[in-house]
Amino acid sequence: MQVDIEDLKSKYLNLEFDRKDFVLDPEKVVMVAKMSGETLPQFCDPDHPDFQAPPAFIASLASGRHLPVDFPKIGGVPMDGGKAVTVLKPVRPGTPLTGRTHLHDIYDKSGRSGRMIFLVSRMEIFDDSGEHVATSDSRQVIREKSQ
Amino acid sequence: MSATVDNISQVEFGTELEPFEPDTSLSATSAFAEAVGWGTGRGGRFSDHEAARKEGFPGALVPGIMNMGFLTSMIHRWSPVAEVIYVDTVFRAPVVADEPCTISAVITDVDEDEGIVELDLTVKNAKDETRVFGTARVRLPAA
Repeated sequence: MQVDIEDLKSKYLNLEFDRKDFVLDPEKVVMVAKMSGETLPQFCDPDHPDFQAPPAFIASLASGRHLPVDFPKIGGVPMDGGKAVTVLKPVRPGTPLTGRTHLHDIYDKSGRSGRMIFLVSRMEIFDDSGEHVATSDSRQVIREKSQ
Repeated sequence: MSATVDNISQVEFGTELEPFEPDTSLSATSAFAEAVGWGTGRGGRFSDHEAARKEGFPGALVPGIMNMGFLTSMIHRWSPVAEVIYVDTVFRAPVVADEPCTISAVITDVDEDEGIVELDLTVKNAKDETRVFGTARVRLPAA
């Protein structure tokens, strides 16, 4: 029997399933920026007054778990299908941040090799004053098991 | 190198940004992976060609999010005053470390009133195969 996408959506979307605290290490932020070819000082110089994490570093922040604890097994090993980052305010290294994660979307695509199911986990990142500073979406792609 | 963009009035729909060839060396991918905490826990996938092949990959990989870094770096080279407010990358196929790749981008929308520019972004390998593609939305100052 095929996984019922609408049923999964009704049960799991928009419910926070993980909360994790972070403090970004300025040296690691600089390394990520420089290895990406970044040259702007606000990403490469920890002493710059506007020093901040680039989107690629924000995308690396991982929640404690990828899916809700009771989410059903729907196929093989998930593949990393992509990432998206929305920057609302500069994300400052060296300051406390909290990531709250929920399933944002579930959808499928069918092709010659069968059905692929896409799970979009969204981590909303807040600074220590509770302000929402960034959002990081992570798309997992799972090939549905043939019956 | 072409002149950089300082404000929204200098942006034209359809313009292609100057292509950028990032450093995909094993030392760069290793350092990146280490910095984001993926160094030792992923079996050398980003730092060791042989170990990656044993996992079924064509060689050590450029981390997917490093491609996102290449794309945003390219935008900042085009316009040092651009604020990347959204970037979305789709990992279509692996980008292999130590193999050259080219980053390209084209302007797909310009909203002068809001100061927002949208771009389509692509990472291609030496065979001209698209490995990663994406979109970005950036904010630029008014003239």
